[in-house]
Amino acid sequence: MSDLKRILLVEDDPKDVELTLTGLAEYNLANEVVVARDGVEALDYLYRRGSHQKRAHGNPAVLLLDLKLPKVDGFEVLQQIRADEQLKMIPVVILTSSQEERDLVRSYKLGVNAYVVKPVDFHQFVNAVKELGVFWAVINKPPPGSLKKV
Amino acid sequence: MDSAATSLTDKKKPATSLQVVQRSVFRYAFALISVALALSVGLLARHSGIREFEFAVFLFAIIVTAWNSGAGPAMVAVICSSLAYDYFFVAPVYSLAVDREDVLSFVLFVLFGLLLAWFGAVRRGAEDALRTNEKKYRELIDASPDAIFVWDAQGKCLLSNAAASRLCGCCDCGLAGLAMVDTYAPTERELARERLDLVKKQGVLRFERQFFRKNNEVVPVEVSLSTAGEDQYQAVLRDISDRKRAEEILRERASLLDLTHDTIFVRDMHGTITYWNGGAEALYGWTSQEAVGQIAYELLRKIFPEPLDEITAKLLRTGRWEGEVVHATRDGRRVVVASRWSLQRDERGNPSAILETNNDVTERKKAEEALRRSHDQLEMKVKERTAELHTMNDELQSVNKELEAFAYSVSHDLRAPVRHIAGFTELLQKHADPVLDDESRRHISMILDSANRMGCLVDDLLAFSRIGRAETQKTTVVLEQLVRGVVNEIAPDTQNRKIVWHIGSLPICYGDPSMLRLMFSNLISNAVKFTRTRAPAEIEIGSQNHNSNEIVVFVKDNGVGFDMKYKDKLFGVFQRLHSQEAFEGTGIGLATVQRIVHRHTGRVWGEGTTDNGATFYVALPKPGGAIDE
Repeated sequence: MSDLKRILLVEDDPKDVELTLTGLAEYNLANEVVVARDGVEALDYLYRRGSHQKRAHGNPAVLLLDLKLPKVDGFEVLQQIRADEQLKMIPVVILTSSQEERDLVRSYKLGVNAYVVKPVDFHQFVNAVKELGVFWAVINKPPPGSLKKV
Repeated sequence: MDSAATSLTDKKKPATSLQVVQRSVFRYAFALISVALALSVGLLARHSGIREFEFAVFLFAIIVTAWNSGAGPAMVAVICSSLAYDYFFVAPVYSLAVDREDVLSFVLFVLFGLLLAWFGAVRRGAEDALRTNEKKYRELIDASPDAIFVWDAQGKCLLSNAAASRLCGCCDCGLAGLAMVDTYAPTERELARERLDLVKKQGVLRFERQFFRKNNEVVPVEVSLSTAGEDQYQAVLRDISDRKRAEEILRERASLLDLTHDTIFVRDMHGTITYWNGGAEALYGWTSQEAVGQIAYELLRKIFPEPLDEITAKLLRTGRWEGEVVHATRDGRRVVVASRWSLQRDERGNPSAILETNNDVTERKKAEEALRRSHDQLEMKVKERTAELHTMNDELQSVNKELEAFAYSVSHDLRAPVRHIAGFTELLQKHADPVLDDESRRHISMILDSANRMGCLVDDLLAFSRIGRAETQKTTVVLEQLVRGVVNEIAPDTQNRKIVWHIGSLPICYGDPSMLRLMFSNLISNAVKFTRTRAPAEIEIGSQNHNSNEIVVFVKDNGVGFDMKYKDKLFGVFQRLHSQEAFEGTGIGLATVQRIVHRHTGRVWGEGTTDNGATFYVALPKPGGAIDE
């Protein structure tokens, strides 16, 4: 699991992971996804620590980040990324159930690139994830040092 | 003596010139008659053969004239006697010539005559002076309003004055010889003798007694008895009937004061008690005999509400003082009295006494104290209760906040499973569709409906909870503009509908624009929704005649309306008056409206009839009025 992939999905709920992957699979992006189950694992991956010690150099093209996470929550992960010279340029998209304005404002203040509320409706949800994946991993030109589409 | 004094007074007072002349004529006539009589007696004596008798007779006439008529007539008598003596008795007889040998005898006669005249005139003047003095003295003692008696050693009256006569009850009766003991009542006569003995030793005696009149009347008198010379006594008696009557009245009044329940006593300027009524005796325990003569401050051990100096100063300035004073009674009890002091001044205006009227208010003070204590206790209890209420209120608020947080958290966390149910059911539908029968497909679609509905409920609940938690950002809001915006926003959803909009002029209000927008959005959406069966639908948004404190805006439609008996349920969360099939919805719209209105301290109510439209009214405080959380 230490390959460098274009999308880092940070999500603790396996059902959400599965639904997200289902969505991304429609554009054959499922293989481009690395899943971290909590904030610590996400940071380990980015800093190439712990179980991700041996992965190849480079940053993911986009980070899909949930806010409610075990151990270290999404805000903290975001804060650390933005505070780090090597990581600060990674596009981060918040993918959350929270519609709270408070969370929205706090995320943007911490320098998030997009904020997406997971729709309850399956079709909307799949569409949202699909389009996110395509835009950030395919259409968008990621910052230098990110993995590009082969 | 009385009569002499009276005659003198009568003679002197109308001293007209005629009377003076008459008196002079009489006096000189007296001189001439005296000399004529002496001459007749002398001539008669010579004829009878008595020699040298005429000399003495003429000198006697001169003395009588001088004695009776004074110096002037005496001189006339001397001249006339000399001439008569010379003419009739000195040789040569019947001639005014005097023989040589008789010159000595004639000169001697004239000298004697002059001497006697002078002597007689001097004696007369002395007697006149004496008589005048006595008259003055008489007038003086008669002028005295006090009766004056002079008693001899046996107690007989030697002298008395006019006032004495009046005292005895007669105007002009002779009091000479009146026995002193007779002026005492028969039962007191022994006392009269004792007093005479006593005054002999002491010189002066003052006392009061009853003066006994002959007609058995008695008069109260004040007596000053003193010894006067050898075995004489003089007594000055003053009629004190008036004073006694006044004292009697005073005593009657004092006995009236004894009847009052109030405590009254009088003290002089040194604090010595001079009067003490029955009320004082009842309150303090000391009798009048015990209290009179005592110093009030020492007896009553007074405690004053302010420094005594200030009280005294005020008393002297205004003549009165009032205050509450603590006194001690005979048995050591403390009493609180409402004390009123009045200053008495003598004829010269100097402070002479203080009249103190005291009302026992001990019981009242106790009652007041008890009342005050219970009032304090009550106040303390109220404070305690208020504090408790505050605590409870704080607790309630924190519980409320917790509830809000809980509601948010629950609805937030509910979204994920709902999404999963919907998501995986979709996947199931997609992948298993070929192997499913119609009934199973229907079940799957019902699961999806329910999941979606639950998603809507959760979202609405989150929105509703957000209104409760969000800060209001208040500003001036142009309602008309806001309402038109809302109407335009929902226009795409009403493209296939025929709706007649009546938007009247709307007031400007003060509030949170986004909340007010949400409120109108809910109200107008409702109106659109519940007029679905109407063609054309009519929706009116306007303002009403409002009072000075608030503005009233309404949204009126011609839709299906509602039964007024459910009006209380209109604004409850998840309360619906229609079936889901007839009109979709979560039942949170009007609850949201009410919450927004309440956050603006306004009022909201609905009016409607079944199948005949509904009107929703919103009353908001006017700009400048109190709008608060």
